[in-house]
Amino acid sequence: MARFLLRYARLPSSLLVAAGLALSASAALAQDVIKFGAPLPLTGPLAPEAIKQQQGYDLWAEQVNKAGGIAVGGKKYKVEIVYSDYQSNTPRAVQTTEQMISQGGVNFMFSPFGSGAAKAASSVSERYKMPTIASTASSAQVYDQGYKYLFGTFTPNDTLTTPLTKIVKAKAPNVKKVAILARNDLFPLAIAQEMEKSAKANGFEVVYFEKYAIGTLDHSATLSQIKSQAPQWIFVTGYINDLLLVRKQMTDQQIKADVVSMIAGPAYQEFIDAAGQGGENITSAAWWHPAAQYNGKDIFGTTANYVKLFREKFKSDPDYAQASASVSGALFQMAIEKAGTLDKEKVRDALAATDVMTFWGPVKFGATGQINSLEPPVFQLQGGKAVVLSPDIIKQGEFKLGVH
Amino acid sequence: MTRANLILLALIACIAALPLFGGAYTLRLGTIACMYAIMALSWNVVGGFAGYPSFATAAFFGLGAYIGGVLLARGMPLAAAIPIAGVGSFLVAGLLGAALLRLRGHYFAIASLSLIEVFRELVNNATDLTGGGMGLNIPLAASAGVMADATFFFYLMWGVLLVTAVAVIAVSMSKLGFGMSCIMQNETAANMVGLNTTLYKSIAFGLSACFVGAAGGVYAAWVHYIDPSDVFDILYSVKPIVMALIGGLGSPLGVTIGAFVYLGLEEVVWRNYIQIHSGVLGVLIVLLLLFLPHGLTSLRGWRLWGRAKNV
Amino acid sequence: MLAAQILINALVLGCLYACIAIGFSLVWGVLNVINLIHGSFIVLGAYLAWGLYQSLHISPWYSLAVAAPLFFVFGYVIQRLILNRVITAPVLVTLTLTFGLDLILNNAMIYYFKADYRKLTLTPPMGSVSIFDVVVPVDRLIATVAALALTFVLYLILRRLRVGRAIVAVRLDRDAAILMGVKVNSIYAIAFGLGAALAGCAGVLMALIFPISPLTSTAYLGKAFVVCVLGGLGSVSGALAGGILLALIEGVGSAMIGPAHATTLSFVLLIVFLILRPQGLLGRKGFE
Repeated sequence: MARFLLRYARLPSSLLVAAGLALSASAALAQDVIKFGAPLPLTGPLAPEAIKQQQGYDLWAEQVNKAGGIAVGGKKYKVEIVYSDYQSNTPRAVQTTEQMISQGGVNFMFSPFGSGAAKAASSVSERYKMPTIASTASSAQVYDQGYKYLFGTFTPNDTLTTPLTKIVKAKAPNVKKVAILARNDLFPLAIAQEMEKSAKANGFEVVYFEKYAIGTLDHSATLSQIKSQAPQWIFVTGYINDLLLVRKQMTDQQIKADVVSMIAGPAYQEFIDAAGQGGENITSAAWWHPAAQYNGKDIFGTTANYVKLFREKFKSDPDYAQASASVSGALFQMAIEKAGTLDKEKVRDALAATDVMTFWGPVKFGATGQINSLEPPVFQLQGGKAVVLSPDIIKQGEFKLGVH
Repeated sequence: MTRANLILLALIACIAALPLFGGAYTLRLGTIACMYAIMALSWNVVGGFAGYPSFATAAFFGLGAYIGGVLLARGMPLAAAIPIAGVGSFLVAGLLGAALLRLRGHYFAIASLSLIEVFRELVNNATDLTGGGMGLNIPLAASAGVMADATFFFYLMWGVLLVTAVAVIAVSMSKLGFGMSCIMQNETAANMVGLNTTLYKSIAFGLSACFVGAAGGVYAAWVHYIDPSDVFDILYSVKPIVMALIGGLGSPLGVTIGAFVYLGLEEVVWRNYIQIHSGVLGVLIVLLLLFLPHGLTSLRGWRLWGRAKNV
Repeated sequence: MLAAQILINALVLGCLYACIAIGFSLVWGVLNVINLIHGSFIVLGAYLAWGLYQSLHISPWYSLAVAAPLFFVFGYVIQRLILNRVITAPVLVTLTLTFGLDLILNNAMIYYFKADYRKLTLTPPMGSVSIFDVVVPVDRLIATVAALALTFVLYLILRRLRVGRAIVAVRLDRDAAILMGVKVNSIYAIAFGLGAALAGCAGVLMALIFPISPLTSTAYLGKAFVVCVLGGLGSVSGALAGGILLALIEGVGSAMIGPAHATTLSFVLLIVFLILRPQGLLGRKGFE
């Protein structure tokens, strides 16, 4: 019987051994390198987002290493970013986070992409007391868990919707009725709920508020219904594909409105290219815009310098996703240098005490760890370009009415 | 008790020693291994014993995760939430089974596949209860340190696996198991000799959901955050089938080993083929079905082909 | 007016759904195989249309003529080399096998095309026509006509051609067809090839209307499932009836109870139909 058992046991155990060897090889840790773990959805539905994140982190690491590294107590450490693919699958993101911390020998972590995965993985970081910066998580629900080791570079969702509502109220007095259509998914739904709140608070009438399921192919029935309500402002949330689909079907149904706002597509060049003429006069808001003019104390210095470095490396303009990844690295760098040690507890305290100007804007974390010092720009697509409407210090143009 | 069943229990007992050897990540893999084994053993009850091609595993995994998650989030202790997740899944599946198991072959496969879709959308839209698309946060229980947590959840999942294995072995030796294999071989004849096939099938479907649901509850407590598209993932339905096909349909020992082999393959593929891992997984599935249709153990493989004739 | 608009939307969308489902239905009906690669075939067809338009400015209408033979050969080869080896195995095996094949094809597309969404935008855009306030987009209208034409061609093949009648014969009674001298394996491969060709053509048409990405394949597959079950298997008219019924359910459902519940409703209906009327609206009772 023992032989019988052995025959069964051999195959799986040899596989486990093989897996174990692969692990220990990657765990070898060089002394003068600081390792940052970055689990990213390099394959699967979120792959385009992962590539942006990777560009942001890579640019930062390259700049740091070019300048000799991060100075810790008189010694310079090079930066290494350890990437791992979690296949756009949240349980895998949690798993790979744990793997990086417990076996990959990383010193600090970046969160996986988006609010959902960042929230799921944050409990692992918390358990290991691992300072972690989330560069793409905005929902307050990510940060209100009472965790001490999680920091985020996106302001809460209402900081996007409130300035947008203010502009529409000031510049489009005819707008009375708002229709809101939201993707039933963490970030898009949360932002739609904020929109509803800020619309009501500013005296608009919300005549339509519905969610659509992830992966919806056809919005024609929904849009016909919205059309029959004749709203002057149509607000749609979702990701690039959803928003392109909705925009196309709005044209199909000949739906016109004074104001059409979409989050989060128009901040991306891909949306502008694919929407073409249909993108004209669509308004949106994002956490950062390359037109910003901040004079930072971080490794990148001014916003203009960041944009220039990015263009040199990637031959395209950065958007907020890439910039947020870069600033997350820069924030770690400043906190480590200030703490003068790689001790996780001390770096965590230095991060919590951050109060600094960066190319991303002024950075200060609130009690929950989420940034509370930024004023996100509102912009509008005009002539195939994103034109910043607010805040006033980076304003590029005037708000235009009418989306046809 | 047959030799294979004894070996299965011995194998599970050996797994309990894992915390002596590994760190937190090994324990995580161990927990997943137990979870996969629960899924494979459970699927085997309806798929291997009764011969119904169920694709509903993910539906009941998600259901259990949400029952457990919602209860835990409202402050119910783990010791109560997980049994409730298991029993709840059993009842829902038993009731659905009475209706769905009238269907056979492709129609049953499609109906069970659609259950995932229906459950996912129901959870997605019950925002007040489940958080909908925003996911459900399960509060972190007072943590006793990384290793203590990992060990705790490993043993919790292991415990569910042990209960699953004992239950499945008990079923296979009982009248119930005999009835199921009658149903698989010739349902009409089984019905004619006076077997209450509807009841038997409902129980089989319920059992296949019960432990998967409990595992879902443990999973929810373990990862602290679940959202509908993660737990109602169709892959959770396909994986147990692949495991069973690897290990040999119908044999509890075979499917359990199939689950461990599958996890090993998944880890190796995932580590080494980042860009093309799902394609590699597909190639493995295709090769397995074409060249190893009887799985690694051909103990009961004949059933597969025995059935082929009357489909 | 809103009701009329929703009705027209549903009719047009229903024909597109039928077009998505018809190849799937043919394969299921004739080979008794649930072909999970179908969704990825459609996406591949859409990429073909996109690539031809982008690089050579070939209009999607002409791409149909390229897609049909290409996908026929592709499907024929897959059936002959792989699927045929397990064609008599139980549903569990064939279903899992096509799942594996789908993983491969889908991953290959993600690897090659990346996961980001593309859009085939005709220049100039075709716009919409309106009759008494009811608006119909021209591209959808033309795609609908093309979808109907495709279904009609399939109908002619099955009714008028020798090979088509052999396909129907195999579907109705495999053993009798063998006795009558029909080469079943070759018929299986031709039917699978036809199914793939229809999927490829559907993809070309969908490229005009929906964004293109490997990730949309599951959405197409889901629609094909529901349409087949609602309308009944393997019949051309059944697919049309199922498509229009599904689009009506979705359209009226979104208007009455909100778009988030429309998908749920269609799948609940699918299960109810399976239990109460497994032969579908128009089909004969399917294989057990």
